[in-house]
Amino acid sequence: MTALLGFYVLIWPAVTLGVLILICRAVIRDRRQAKKEHREMV
Amino acid sequence: MNSESLYQFSIWTVIALLLAFYGGTYLLTLGLSKKKNDADAFMVSNHRIGFGIGAASMTATWIWAASFYAAATSGYQYGVSGPIHYGLWGALMILFIYPFGKRFRKLAPNAATLGELIHARHGSSSQLILAISNVMGSLISLMVNFTAAGALVSVLSPMSFQAGVIIAGVGVLLYTLWSGFRASVMTDFAQLVALMAIAVVIIPAVFFSMGGPTELVAGLDNLTAEQANFFSSEAILEQGAPFFVAVLAYAIGNQTISQRLFAVNEDHIKPTFLTATVGYGAIVIGLGMIGLMALTLGIEPLNGDMNNLIPQMVSGYLPPIFIALFFILVIGSLSSTADSDLSALSAIMMADVYGKNIARGNPDTHKMLLVGRITMILATVAAIIFASFSLDILVMLVFVGALWGAIVFPVIASCFWSKVTNKAFTTSVVIAMILFCLARFEMLPLAGGFGLMFEVLASIGGGIIIGLMVFGFLGRMAGAVAGVLALIAMLIFATGFLREYTVLLASLTAYGTSTLVCVVMSLASREAPFDFDVIRERVGDYSDHSDEEAGSATDTADDAPQPGIAGQPAAQS
Repeated sequence: MTALLGFYVLIWPAVTLGVLILICRAVIRDRRQAKKEHREMV
Repeated sequence: MNSESLYQFSIWTVIALLLAFYGGTYLLTLGLSKKKNDADAFMVSNHRIGFGIGAASMTATWIWAASFYAAATSGYQYGVSGPIHYGLWGALMILFIYPFGKRFRKLAPNAATLGELIHARHGSSSQLILAISNVMGSLISLMVNFTAAGALVSVLSPMSFQAGVIIAGVGVLLYTLWSGFRASVMTDFAQLVALMAIAVVIIPAVFFSMGGPTELVAGLDNLTAEQANFFSSEAILEQGAPFFVAVLAYAIGNQTISQRLFAVNEDHIKPTFLTATVGYGAIVIGLGMIGLMALTLGIEPLNGDMNNLIPQMVSGYLPPIFIALFFILVIGSLSSTADSDLSALSAIMMADVYGKNIARGNPDTHKMLLVGRITMILATVAAIIFASFSLDILVMLVFVGALWGAIVFPVIASCFWSKVTNKAFTTSVVIAMILFCLARFEMLPLAGGFGLMFEVLASIGGGIIIGLMVFGFLGRMAGAVAGVLALIAMLIFATGFLREYTVLLASLTAYGTSTLVCVVMSLASREAPFDFDVIRERVGDYSDHSDEEAGSATDTADDAPQPGIAGQPAAQS
């Protein structure tokens, strides 16, 4: 029960971290692509 | 109202934090090229936002200050399942709109607002209904976010509530005014990175400072049987169900979502919305867990105000640096939503009001930009005034919620079914609003025949919500089967019971009535079926193509508009 509840609380910041990394990597890719096409990212 | 039980920053510390946040955000927007600020860029960044920025912006926009407070409140009130019943449904609002969003984008690739699409499909009356609901929604959101800023500043420092409201309003306006949507999405990314990083640190920090999983398990004795039950019917009926009903309505009625639908590169709509769904859910449910922790510890909210729960926990268990991080977390979340609301409002006034109804499809793009910026200033001033006086907006909220519910079926059906007419759209929304008011304010007795009538309409509403959700992902047949099954289930279980839950009954009545009237009137109409290809021709873009760089890959797309007809429907040119 202790491990289960601990997991239940901590899984959310872990998923948040995963999404944060995914978004940051995607933005870096967006930036490279925009540079290649000589345009602004937004 | 300042409290001695919460950690108090000095006025200068708070001013330094706000200056650092808004100053840094403003500096970030200085990197945006000014010559690219044509009307289309100002509204939708020329429809070519990438996946990373798009997902970040969608997530940051959907998370507002109330998300944290309400999720924590839900955890505190409903226990183990509480944060899920807030965060999950909020996240699904993003997810369930994307299949419809792809259709909107396919029909009108150059649109900046959903209202433009509806204008091309039906004309002004339907479009203005949608635009008015969008404007009211964004104004309310703006006001709520500024109110949250005032409340936060007044709770954590000796500074007044009004000072917090004004600083937030001016700060957001400052960095959004010049570049509009481009500034909004660019700063959303930075704000989201800060927001997520802080959430990743704060949740485990509070959790382990309060004693970790062992303490949490020990505290389960403080919970009622319902609060300890992950499948609590109380949590489902009182928190989950009303949110579930609103899933499609919020997404359709909110221009901040459709603006991003039209701004993201068309190929990236699906990953953008999926990532935003997961991101929103994780952050909000995670912070909602702090409410659950407070419940297990037996903590009472300060002054009975649930909004104090998270500040109390952070203040009680973590050093001041974390309280400063929490401060930035809330300011970041409310500012990212507020700048999106300003961009949404300006786009509606530029495209829906000026472009379609004043300039009649032949707008001056420089005047459009002026309209957008003036709208931002006026909206900020109005929101600051409303927030400063802490006006009661409950009635406004009730009406906007009902209006959003009433337009869900007519908007979606108009994009898939060629028989839907302008008259059917408008009439169905008006009748749905009337019946909503009769039920919501109990102007008719919710007993006997009237009670049954409303429950049948509400059952149709329940059926249509389920049907549309399934239709979005699995297609027409699956949607119809799911809708009919849901309707039958509702008729069996809801009749004689739903009348006890007036808010839910009235909301579902709005859905059901608009669907019924829209379908009957459309079927009875002798108008020729609508040709959807016309929409693409009627919705032009407002970009100044002389500024476009040569060699841009996206400029050569098949649907690239012709220079010189900015905003002018081809059918009218």
